[in-house]
Amino acid sequence: MTEQTFENPNADDLAKEAEMSDLALSSVQSKAVESDRRKALGKLSLFDALFHKLTFSAAILVLLLLGGVIISLIQGSLPAVRAFGFGFLSSQSWNPVTDNFGAMAAIYGTVTTSLIAMLVSVPVGLGIAVFLTELCPPVLRRPIGMAIELLAGIPSIIYGIWGLFVLAPFLQQHVQPALISTFADTPVLSTLFAGPPYGIGVMTAGLILGVMVLPFIASISRDVFDTVPPVLKEAAAGIGCTTWEVTRHVVLPYTRVGVIGGVMLGLGRALGETMAVTFVIGNAHKISGSLIAPGTTISATIANEFTEAVGDVYTSSLIELGLILFVITFVVLACARLLLMRIERKAGA
Amino acid sequence: MSLYSSRRNANTLATALCWAAAAFGLSWLVMILGALIYEGAKGLSLDVLTQMTPPPGGAGGLLNAMAGSLIMSVIGVAVGAPLGMLAGTYMAEYGRYSKLTVVIRFINDILLSAPSIVIGLFVYTVLVARMGHFSAISGSAALAILVIPVVLRTTEDMLLLVPGSLREAATALGLPRSYVIQHVAYRAAKSGLVTGVLLAVARVSGETAPLLFTSLNNQFWSLDLNAPMASLPVVIFQFALSPYKDWQQLAWTGALLVTVTVLVLSIAARTLSRQRTFK
Amino acid sequence: MTVMPVVKPELSTKVAVRNLDFFYGDSRALKDITIGLHTNKVTAFIGPSGCGKSTLLRVLNRMYDLYPKQRAQGEVLLDGENILNPAVDVNLLRSRVGMVFQKPTPFPMSIYDNIAFGIRLYEKLSKAALDARVEEALRGAALWEEVKDKLQMSGLGLSGGQQQRLCIARSVAVQPEVILFDEPCSALDPISTAKVEELIDELSERYTIAIVTHNMQQAVRVSDFTAFMYLGELVEFGETDNVFTAPREKKTQDYITGRFG
Repeated sequence: MTEQTFENPNADDLAKEAEMSDLALSSVQSKAVESDRRKALGKLSLFDALFHKLTFSAAILVLLLLGGVIISLIQGSLPAVRAFGFGFLSSQSWNPVTDNFGAMAAIYGTVTTSLIAMLVSVPVGLGIAVFLTELCPPVLRRPIGMAIELLAGIPSIIYGIWGLFVLAPFLQQHVQPALISTFADTPVLSTLFAGPPYGIGVMTAGLILGVMVLPFIASISRDVFDTVPPVLKEAAAGIGCTTWEVTRHVVLPYTRVGVIGGVMLGLGRALGETMAVTFVIGNAHKISGSLIAPGTTISATIANEFTEAVGDVYTSSLIELGLILFVITFVVLACARLLLMRIERKAGA
Repeated sequence: MSLYSSRRNANTLATALCWAAAAFGLSWLVMILGALIYEGAKGLSLDVLTQMTPPPGGAGGLLNAMAGSLIMSVIGVAVGAPLGMLAGTYMAEYGRYSKLTVVIRFINDILLSAPSIVIGLFVYTVLVARMGHFSAISGSAALAILVIPVVLRTTEDMLLLVPGSLREAATALGLPRSYVIQHVAYRAAKSGLVTGVLLAVARVSGETAPLLFTSLNNQFWSLDLNAPMASLPVVIFQFALSPYKDWQQLAWTGALLVTVTVLVLSIAARTLSRQRTFK
Repeated sequence: MTVMPVVKPELSTKVAVRNLDFFYGDSRALKDITIGLHTNKVTAFIGPSGCGKSTLLRVLNRMYDLYPKQRAQGEVLLDGENILNPAVDVNLLRSRVGMVFQKPTPFPMSIYDNIAFGIRLYEKLSKAALDARVEEALRGAALWEEVKDKLQMSGLGLSGGQQQRLCIARSVAVQPEVILFDEPCSALDPISTAKVEELIDELSERYTIAIVTHNMQQAVRVSDFTAFMYLGELVEFGETDNVFTAPREKKTQDYITGRFG
């Protein structure tokens, strides 16, 4: 690998000398520059390390927050846990006077309203997503997409106040009497739709909740549908599939996991929603067979009663309700995230 | 061919249903916004913007509620956004390949969708119960906790979009890590980061539940951070559920103001993010 | 073992690589590389995709530090000092060993700031002095005439070839001693390529240059010494003319004549 050439020695020597002294000079210069730079960089390195620690602490803070929420909820529930034990979960009573509380009615209401909300929002949301990705004329795609996002951005209290003043009276006067009389003689449905038409109640709350969650499901589903590689859809269309068949046999199976994840996220939202429901649920602490009857949810109970709760047991029962709600939503959201993480990894691959 | 025509019919039916779904969704938007504008505008007057919340049966406005909302949102964002941004920076830059980042992202997404009333309970037990009284500080704290996950998520997403080649080019000049992040990555992701903050502001402007038992409410004008403070959403809550007609009217008008604020912020955020993708 | 891994031991060696191994996770990408770069000369690295030439380049300024699963073993001496030593100030190293990448990456700032950015990091200069340095760097990259009236324009508004020359100016502005070029012309059109090659020729009078290239003709045009790498090993290293006209190894011969690669 080494080579030696012997040419004109004098010229070579001179050249070498010149080169050496050049190098020596530039080496002195570069040493000076180097020490200046060392100083400049030294000043920055302290800040550099500080910034690193700062960002790390902020990241850890997120973990601490979650831990803090869980711990404080547990701590706050202790008086109620000591008073009622596990019976709290199955008891329907809610009596501030005798300090006897049970979560059953609230849990039932939370679950029922959320289920109704899912029944409304999932088919419609998926339908909107399919519409936006396949059927919508390209000109309208952006405005309608934006309109759906606007619907998602409306604060929940607006849904609540609208539900109270517009939807509930409408249902009370036009829809509920019809439902009651239509199903009066059918065996199961007559209990489902029994009772005086209050307007407010479990059904109204579920409906409003459904409309609230609807744009969320539509936009997540649309994003998931967009990840389907166009070649797959084109291949199906190429053998003569109708748009619906492409959707049913290619798009939906491909995005199944993502759609389920999105639906679960929507469910998590619905379970925890407060304001949309509190206005129209009716705030009755009992479980009744009829959907038209008033009821309550965990969040509505807390929202309505927390500031007026007197006594450790009352306050603590409300906090325990909050803990139960947090656990339920945590499980649902965690499952949803795990599913969606799998989708993200597949899309990234 | 009967198979073909039944397939055709299925397609037509499904298409019709999807169109119906879109119409269904849009009609709700129209109905809700329509009622909001109609009812809310009825009560719009200069008084609303200049008077305090009245006792039942009296005339008044929403000034203290608007001010309270503004103050608490600003404090909440001022505290929460930097924290969220720093945490997101750690996850996208220093901790990009670590397991800790995966865990934090997971936890953050849970916090993002957690019931906001539970956050209110948390702040109650940690701050309000300890302090012995409701206060705007507690309200702002609750809002800050809601801001952090939103900003963290968008910060991490936006920083991850900055090409690695840009970072390498800056590193090759000898820039220390924090310099690369602050002067190159942040600058490249600037509009995305601002979008995240706008979205967070939009979110907390409409939140009611976490304020119900942290900042409570205040009938009068107050700038005292250590005392209960009025806010638009809580006032709407209280007034709408009351039996008084003029209170209900104020609730509608307040609802209109909140919605306009939130929608303007959301549209601003979206326009900003679209500008970025056009670049 | 004091094997001098260079072609002409009578010339001074700026960078000496000794027994270098490099790992991506568990897989070894560079195998026992020993090579030396002469001061103020251009050394080209050629070889088929995946042979490790870019990997080797990125060891010379410890760019791989950014990625946790990558590590290097062995010695890399810059003026006699081993830069692989963890105690070395990496930022200082990178101010002495600059790099120009394949894809032009102007920072999202004005042209002026792109250049001034690096300078400001190390030196406190008056506006006039800074202006002069920016001009000097842009002249050095043959870009001054084209941008002198639009220094406040965003760097992203330049054409591809101009952006790459901006990146070169940026590297030159911090007054390095070595400049590493990683396939600098592969994203450029022929005219810009010619301009960049001219630049490299001029720059070699003041800087030690290493250039990775896929284009063998470019290696011939631009470099004084050429190293041929294959599957992570250094197959042949010598004066460019000799490597291309009378290669010693058969693999080299095969690659140069296009039998593979």
